[in-house]
Amino acid sequence: MEGDHTIWIEKYRPLKLADMVGQRDIVMRLQSYVESGSLPHLLFTGSAGVGKTTAAVALARGFFGETWHMNFRELNASDERGIDVVRNQIKQFARTAPLDGANFKILFLDEADALTSDAQAALRRTMENYAQSCRFILSCNYSSKIIDPIQSRCAIYRFRPLNKEDISEEVRKIAERENLTVTPDALDAIAYIAQGDMRRAINALQGAAILSSHIDAKMVYETTSTARPEEIEDLLNLAISSDFEGAEQVLAAILHERGIAPNELINQCYRALVKRDMDRALKIELIDHLGETDFRLSEGANSDIQMEALIAAFVLSAQKHT
Amino acid sequence: MDRDWAEKYRPGHLQDLVGNGPAVRQMYEWARTWTPGTRPLVLYGKPGTGKTSAAHALANDLQWEVLEMNASDQRTRAIIERIAGAGSTTASLSGASRRLIILDEADNIHGTADRGGAKAMIEVIRRSGQPIILIANDLYDLPKELKTVCEPVLFRAVQARSIVPRLRHICTLEGIACSDIALRMIAEGAGGDLRAAVTTLYASAIGKSRLDVEDLYTSRKDERSTIFELVAALFKTRGDAELMRMVQEVDATPDTIEQWIENNITYLSDIHAIESACAYLSRADEYIGYTFRRQYYTLWRYASALMVLGVSHAAAGSGLHGKIMPPSRWGKMRRSKRQKAIRISLMNRLSHLTHIPPDQLREDYLTAIALLIEHDPERFVTEWDLDADDLNLFLNDRKRSAEIVRRVAGKMKNALKAPETLKAPEEKPVSQVKGRKSDPTTQSTLFGGYPHE
Repeated sequence: MEGDHTIWIEKYRPLKLADMVGQRDIVMRLQSYVESGSLPHLLFTGSAGVGKTTAAVALARGFFGETWHMNFRELNASDERGIDVVRNQIKQFARTAPLDGANFKILFLDEADALTSDAQAALRRTMENYAQSCRFILSCNYSSKIIDPIQSRCAIYRFRPLNKEDISEEVRKIAERENLTVTPDALDAIAYIAQGDMRRAINALQGAAILSSHIDAKMVYETTSTARPEEIEDLLNLAISSDFEGAEQVLAAILHERGIAPNELINQCYRALVKRDMDRALKIELIDHLGETDFRLSEGANSDIQMEALIAAFVLSAQKHT
Repeated sequence: MDRDWAEKYRPGHLQDLVGNGPAVRQMYEWARTWTPGTRPLVLYGKPGTGKTSAAHALANDLQWEVLEMNASDQRTRAIIERIAGAGSTTASLSGASRRLIILDEADNIHGTADRGGAKAMIEVIRRSGQPIILIANDLYDLPKELKTVCEPVLFRAVQARSIVPRLRHICTLEGIACSDIALRMIAEGAGGDLRAAVTTLYASAIGKSRLDVEDLYTSRKDERSTIFELVAALFKTRGDAELMRMVQEVDATPDTIEQWIENNITYLSDIHAIESACAYLSRADEYIGYTFRRQYYTLWRYASALMVLGVSHAAAGSGLHGKIMPPSRWGKMRRSKRQKAIRISLMNRLSHLTHIPPDQLREDYLTAIALLIEHDPERFVTEWDLDADDLNLFLNDRKRSAEIVRRVAGKMKNALKAPETLKAPEEKPVSQVKGRKSDPTTQSTLFGGYPHE
């Protein structure tokens, strides 16, 4: 591991479709496109870190082999995305002949929902007129942000958040290659932090690996600045049982001793509350308190005051509902 | 086998088009009788109903050359005039009898990048010595000036039972055995969009010689069904985790989900339940507002949780008494969008006529103008060249507005038929309104005079 400073999400990005973890059905369909040499325009939807970009690049490698770079172009949100780009750059790329004997090129438009609707409109005939020389892969978080005429031209694939088994499988694979041992509770911790996002999982693993080659849950929570789920449960239990002082102490420990960011704590409380088995009206009220606090913090309010007020509001609501 | 099927099987002749017989006949009749001065067509309808294909097929059948401009081309005034203007007035080089100018995506003339584009289109239309077809998804997104000089042709959603034979035909040509149920599922899932159906077939059949239901990849436009399921689940007894999972799987943002829920909240039987559900929904709505105002998307989850868990809590598993309906506000928004477009274009026109800025006109003079119009609508219809939609803005009476406009048009026609009136355009009463009707040979309202130009 010494001297190896590459970022693992790039180092271990699967190059072949067959190496992808999760999204079984989608990967199989895409595989059959490569085998038959045909490709429709595609629209990938799904949240971050579920394999959309990996699939697009792996498709390109599958079709074009080692020289895939020559016939593949990626545009993401950091690139200029106005109507002029569609009319000039994209059209230019799409209409020139594919290189190196390929049948077509692939243009990958990452975060296509960030395209203005004018730019999307400018894309539609380009997709048709140059379909012979260029196939489009669009990716986005919500397909409802893509105008109908474009959806009509694409085969739509929805990528789901990765489940715990998928995440653990990939983490184990990488750990083996990096000569790490990962305890079962560390695997759980990584899956908890990842929330279905493989990038987050791999980052958590790489972060913990800096501390030691033997990784346990504590290291994972520490390096990712995440509270342990037990701490969150503790906090909620105390607040809901109207123990304001007890809850306040746990809060102070999490925020000040552990150095967890207030936003992260709110995020974890939210996840815990949604799952929690409890009086429903109270649950909704507490979630609303979380939202209110989150909003105030985003507006620049003082986090110590707001977090304490949050716990107080929890206690009051809990008293009202018992 | 490397061609996109939607392109490979794009119909080359009018007779190959699926569905929309009346529209195709209207187009053919228009083309057969076309002479310089015939109004251009505007084909409008949902995506994938065959508009662009029909225009190209028409040209192909009649052996006309085609010149197409679409939104992927920059369409400023200068460019439209250079390309289409030349195309429309100069004789064709290759000896084909006519050159059809297709202005695709005419409802997407881009505001700043295509400055002056709409005006240029009208100019081109006015001067054109060649047939022109415009294509748009929504007639109401066309600039009014464009709309009034064109003859509309509606393309309807293609019915699933018309789509199936087309899909079967493609399967035969591609040598793929395909089960009838699979074809029917593709056709029904496409929602009237033939291109989407062909794309789905292509995406499912690549690399296969036989296609069954289980080979269909599943994602085509299924967001509706899951949003239906989500709304239905709110009225049943469902766990929080399951509801939140459904929200995440619905391929729509919370603002859309909110409208679906709102529209179906009245299915709650008890007024207290409705009150409680509305309270949760309005709180969720606040979070949606904050999200957009601050571009802080983390807040979305509170909106989702409050409306889904809240409404489910309010419903208390009371069950669903009725059919889930899509949000009616979309319909309303669509209509009000149209009203707004009419109002803005009218204000701009009146602003030119009266030399008063549009804002001031609206704030200070509109009431007075409305009263004047109410008093003598016919005069203003004539003087300001109002159509029924414009007039309705003032009278707020659709039927009466239409009647008045019809009456005025009738009078105008009769006046023009009288032999001694208005022989030379110069003798027209001086009016600031451009393009007053002067030529009896055309029904166009704005640009009656083009043979004289």
